[in-house]
Amino acid sequence: MLNIQDLRVAIGDKEIIKGLDLAIGPGELHAIMGPNGSGKSTLGYALAGREGYDITGGKVEFEGADLADMEPEERAAAGLFLAFQYPVEIPGVNNAYFLRAALNAQRKARGEEEVDSMTFLKTVRESLKALKMDESLLKRAVNEGFSGGEKKRNEIVQMAVLNPKLAVLDETDSGLDIDALKLVAEGINAQRDGKRSFLVITHYQRLLDYLTPDRVHVLAGGRIVESGGQELAERLEAEGYAFLEEESAA
Amino acid sequence: MSSMLEQLAPEADLIDDQYVGIRRRARQRLMTHGFPDLKTEAWKYTSLRVLEKRELEGGSDIGSVEPKTLPFEACIIRFDNGLLDDASLDLPEGVYLEPLDPSELVNVDYGDRADAMAWLNLARFDQAWKLVIAGEVEKPLVLATTLSEAFRAGVHPRLKIEVADGASAVLIEQQRDYGAGLINIVQDIHVGRGAQLRHIIQRRNADSIWVQRTRVNVSADGDYRCHALELAGRLVRQDLAVHLLEAGANGEIDGVAYVDSKQHVDWHTAIDHEVGHTNSRESFRILADGSGVGVFNGRIHIQRGADDSHSDLNTANLLLSENARINTKPELEIYAEEVTASHGATIGQLEDSALFYLRSRGLPADEAMALLKFGFAAAPLETLEIADLREWLTNELHRVL
Repeated sequence: MLNIQDLRVAIGDKEIIKGLDLAIGPGELHAIMGPNGSGKSTLGYALAGREGYDITGGKVEFEGADLADMEPEERAAAGLFLAFQYPVEIPGVNNAYFLRAALNAQRKARGEEEVDSMTFLKTVRESLKALKMDESLLKRAVNEGFSGGEKKRNEIVQMAVLNPKLAVLDETDSGLDIDALKLVAEGINAQRDGKRSFLVITHYQRLLDYLTPDRVHVLAGGRIVESGGQELAERLEAEGYAFLEEESAA
Repeated sequence: MSSMLEQLAPEADLIDDQYVGIRRRARQRLMTHGFPDLKTEAWKYTSLRVLEKRELEGGSDIGSVEPKTLPFEACIIRFDNGLLDDASLDLPEGVYLEPLDPSELVNVDYGDRADAMAWLNLARFDQAWKLVIAGEVEKPLVLATTLSEAFRAGVHPRLKIEVADGASAVLIEQQRDYGAGLINIVQDIHVGRGAQLRHIIQRRNADSIWVQRTRVNVSADGDYRCHALELAGRLVRQDLAVHLLEAGANGEIDGVAYVDSKQHVDWHTAIDHEVGHTNSRESFRILADGSGVGVFNGRIHIQRGADDSHSDLNTANLLLSENARINTKPELEIYAEEVTASHGATIGQLEDSALFYLRSRGLPADEAMALLKFGFAAAPLETLEIADLREWLTNELHRVL
């Protein structure tokens, strides 16, 4: 699904990701944890194709295609989704209109038929209900005036409707209370069908308690310094990131 | 500038009708003051010099264009090439149209050169009408002014609109220009006690120079609200002055202007709180693309003694290209007490983060950009509470963005 080899990403002159390797197979859920400033969000943006996050070395293959050659919308149409750490407010643009336009743009790019508004609304309503979000949100502008938790849940609604092959979730758990966290986790689990893959970027272990990741990676200084199973996340939670430094110093 | 006077109002061309004395006086004032140039404060960013070079010629054979069909029921009053043929007019109950009595124009006074175009209208108007709205009119009244492709003339429509005490109406100005002449409109609107007027201006121009001056007087508890969708043209200058004359009067302006390529739009608005306990609100947005120029000047004047008045003025602007230009200026002048007044102005560009967000969801860059522009531009139209009309305006906006 996703195959990253010796990836280097720079913002301007500053190299943030310094030779990262990662392979995610179909149906797998991987978690990336790491201290602040380790390059977690940079990785998410680089995968989604944000301008200014330049891939300066290495290779990122998504379903066999080289991501570096693709525009953000092409990556989306190919099945890549990024849930933003800070979802952007877009005043004046209706949530439902936007989401349907995005879905149809993706389908068009893939040579599929557009979705009619009835089918679309049905899908969205189901997702909203699952995430305990009010339907009136559809009529509001994208993320405008949403609470922090609503914004994060809205990302999961978008994910459910857009139906990606690989979802990168950038600190989707931050700023959520425990109830919202459970809803978001349920939203993610509902999409785990053995084919769809996930890369969950997080600072804390608590979301992973609900997700049971296949692999947990620790990102520090722009590299993956340790990989393991769920137990690695638990160790990080218990001991903090300090032990990494001790180990690397040893 | 005297050449401009000879060009636009040669003495020999003054119509010798019941208004001739008024016309002569107006021309005299024009001669005294001259036309504005870039040193005239109110015309600092908008030059009329293009008029000097423009050969305006009459011509009866210029055809007429059907106004675009509206997606709702309305009473259409057509001004083909600026002129009204009232022979086949079918007005709803409580609405009357009649020629303006000369006595109503005898004492008309404007200022100096900044008001030259109003004097020019007074000297040269072809028709002067008075539209009376005496009751609650359900269907919108549409003043459809359409200038045909062959339009090269100078035309100076003049209209007085009286909304009687307690009356209410929706007045839509559907203005389309396909020509390359001059249209110079003067409107005086009176909103009576407790009366309501929704005034919608939807303009889309080609190469004609479009100058329009609208003055609105609002009486006690009267409510005037203007919603403007300005889709520009070669040169548009709109002056809109709202005078809140008695307690309880309310005036609101919500507008958006979009300029592209070599278009130029200049909106000068003024809301004058002449007495206390009056309210106003204004929100105006400009989007400028290509080498378009957008000018907005919004003046709020709260006069001495107009205590307990409230006003809010907001202007936001979006520059979409390197060559586009926006000049925006909110002006607050407050001479009263116990007043709340606020204003804000921003000029910005499309945000990269928003653009990336939309693209990351699958929208191609151009569609994402269009959606962001639309979102920004549509905001002032959202305040229009009549769903049919709001939809019509947003659809019109959609077509150009």
